[in-house]
Amino acid sequence: MKKKGALLSVAVLLTGLLAGCGPVKKEGGSTAEATLKDGKYDPPITLTIAKQQDENAGKYINGESLNDNVLTRWGVEKLGIQIETTLLGGDAAQYNTKLRLALTGSEKLPDVLPVYDTSLENDLIQSGLVKDITEDINKYMPERLKEIYKEYPTAFNPVIQDGKVYGMPIAPNLTEGEVMLVRQDWLDNLGLKAPTTIDEFEQVIAAFTNDDPDGNGKQDTYGFDFSGKDSYNTGWVSDSVMIFSAYAGKHLPGQWYNEGGKLTYGSVAGGMKDALAKLRDWYSKGYLNKELATQGAWDALADFTEGKAGIIIGRPWLYGSVKDVETNVQGAKISAYPTISGVSGDKTYQSGQQNDGVFMFNKDFNNMEAFFLYYDKLYDAAFGTGDFKYGYAQGYDYDIVNGEVVFDSKAFNTPLDAVQGVGKMAFTKNTPSVDGPGKSFYDLAQGAKADTGVLMRSAANDPTTIAGYVISYENRDVLLPNAFNGPPTKTMQTSWEQLNTMEKETFTKIIYSKEPLESYDTFVKQWYEKGGTQITEEVNEWYTNAGKVDVMTNMGLK
Amino acid sequence: MYHKSKGYKIFSFFNYIFLILIALSCFLPMLHLLAQSLSSKSAINGNLVSFWPVDFNMDAYAKTFRNTNFTGSMQISVFRTVLGTLISMFVITTAGYALSKDFRGRNVLMWIFIFTMLFSGGLIPSYILVTKLGFKDTIWSLVLPGAFGAYNLILIMNFFKTIPKALEEAAFIDGASFFVIFRKIYLPLSLPGLATVGLFIMVGHWNAWFDGILYMSSTENYPLASFLQTVVVQGSAQSMALSQSEAAALSEQSIKAAQIFISTLPIILVYPFLQKYFVKGIVLGAVKE
Repeated sequence: MKKKGALLSVAVLLTGLLAGCGPVKKEGGSTAEATLKDGKYDPPITLTIAKQQDENAGKYINGESLNDNVLTRWGVEKLGIQIETTLLGGDAAQYNTKLRLALTGSEKLPDVLPVYDTSLENDLIQSGLVKDITEDINKYMPERLKEIYKEYPTAFNPVIQDGKVYGMPIAPNLTEGEVMLVRQDWLDNLGLKAPTTIDEFEQVIAAFTNDDPDGNGKQDTYGFDFSGKDSYNTGWVSDSVMIFSAYAGKHLPGQWYNEGGKLTYGSVAGGMKDALAKLRDWYSKGYLNKELATQGAWDALADFTEGKAGIIIGRPWLYGSVKDVETNVQGAKISAYPTISGVSGDKTYQSGQQNDGVFMFNKDFNNMEAFFLYYDKLYDAAFGTGDFKYGYAQGYDYDIVNGEVVFDSKAFNTPLDAVQGVGKMAFTKNTPSVDGPGKSFYDLAQGAKADTGVLMRSAANDPTTIAGYVISYENRDVLLPNAFNGPPTKTMQTSWEQLNTMEKETFTKIIYSKEPLESYDTFVKQWYEKGGTQITEEVNEWYTNAGKVDVMTNMGLK
Repeated sequence: MYHKSKGYKIFSFFNYIFLILIALSCFLPMLHLLAQSLSSKSAINGNLVSFWPVDFNMDAYAKTFRNTNFTGSMQISVFRTVLGTLISMFVITTAGYALSKDFRGRNVLMWIFIFTMLFSGGLIPSYILVTKLGFKDTIWSLVLPGAFGAYNLILIMNFFKTIPKALEEAAFIDGASFFVIFRKIYLPLSLPGLATVGLFIMVGHWNAWFDGILYMSSTENYPLASFLQTVVVQGSAQSMALSQSEAAALSEQSIKAAQIFISTLPIILVYPFLQKYFVKGIVLGAVKE
């Protein structure tokens, strides 16, 4: 029996390889007769999937490839499920284009479609090509997954239409919160403490700019490094949202917040003007990144890494990306601190993401059970159980050297340049996690013993990153997911772009002192006039509708 | 002598400066990339590299050539460029030769070709066509859709027209057929034109990335430009949910630089061999018979 399965899988693999050379037609395989025996499909079935593949997932070692690698082989061997990517896009925009093209019906849609764009999610539902999975979730979703999905009911919002559920969020889980990375050696040189309020923050960045913190006798440093190119709320690195939140509380630029049952838009909320006034003042005094309006989130890091800037804000792993300053500049040392508190004394807030797109399914797809089986198994890595106790594959993302589990790729039995993103090899662009804002790090800090794969992996990080994650977990209450996560409303489709442009320009011009502070009031007025009022209404209408039918009960997730 | 005049000297001076600036604006970015590709990761992240490598090392090149995706894509690109250029040149020269003659319906045909130059079906119809023809995931989806370019056809056709009619007539008298004339007279005589148009097509094939991404459903089939596109365009706000190891890989600028540099080399190397033809390459309506 086993031999037959192996033969079949070889045949399937060969078809995949041949497809590269000629127009070989690929069909779903013999799914009808496949039965589940001891947790394994026999004969193996094929799940086709669309995938947005980033650079890291595109790196394979040992001559492997997209449809033939350590994880796809694991699927066939252990579960009798062959994952085959039939639609592939590089970055987000290309991927969306390819999905839209697939909607033209010129080819068969893959069985599983990860979608990362709310308007595309809506189009897919409208096209009638995706499946209503309310019943399937109720019937087939394993208990372990149900427990996870129960916690994030709002993550389903984008795929609910008329009380039916057309998809499920990918890996619902709140993202890690942001920390403030400060040049500790600069603080020490000047005899300062890490700032906790906006006034202290101002003192520190003033000193970082004027008092020559690196002691080279030149005024070539500044305080606060952030990006304003795409928005004033990047949500991941080089973020400035802390300053806005200091004055506006839970109203964040570019984000909707549920205030007493009504959704309001952050960028026009009270307090924004004060924040802009502050930033304008700081900019004119040289405390801020001079090129903040032209540098994207990722580019803005360079000043910090070069040793020119003193404070940057981002997710805890950001330390790994900027720690090169400790090599570039002698004596440099970075420490992680929580973000400051606001003028009201509350903590400052930041945007949190609660899922990474949604899974949608071809309406002709009848193997939801197989999908859930596979997806549940992938969660083994997040829980540190089953086949993925320490990681996905030995020699790829972890290794056992002399009886010890090692996560540093350089220390592997066969050293690698970088850890391989095995989890991404067969499925979505990111792997599921239940660690959220960094519970494992917090547990470690509380003295937990690193005995599971997840804890061991966390413990293998460098001290600054660990400290960052602990801060992130302790302050997980500051994470605010966007209250509006539905498809663009009718008026949004016509005027949202324009409103956004106006917003960005106004904010930047005020900070750059190219326009008086009062132009913020004009902006708010125009924002409402040019569609804002209508959009707010529509957004609230959507919000009421989204909560109307209790889909969670229908899905058995209550 | 006019070139001794003061005005001419001033003009030359500024002309040289202007041309040098233009040349530098082409050359310096390449130099910057080369410096980056030979520098250490930390120096690049700190923005410390300008035109000279910092912490010289060749790691990026070693890693690039060990990356099977890169080398595989390179092979596909080379194959695609050669095959695509051959097909295009065949189609264009044969059509161009025919259309340089007078025959009934020539204008109608010409008009149809010009029409494709002005109006294209757009992305979706092209995609459906290619998919339905079964070209998806094959080299044909890269070389066939763009094989016939009306613009290149016009260039070649005009070049053929400049060849004296008398030559053809003499050949006829000696008993040559159209095919022999095409092969033995027209093609050799229009080498400069063919080289120029050939280079246009080659560069086009080498640099095209969108069709690769569009029609290939597996990275192993990506041509080099498509591969680079997925590697180099990174860090957009859309990819927010990153983990630590991914973020570290995101900043491997030296590898990106090395890959870009290696990928531009072949086309730069081809250029000098074709350059001599460019002088008399395309003279659209410059000389009247």
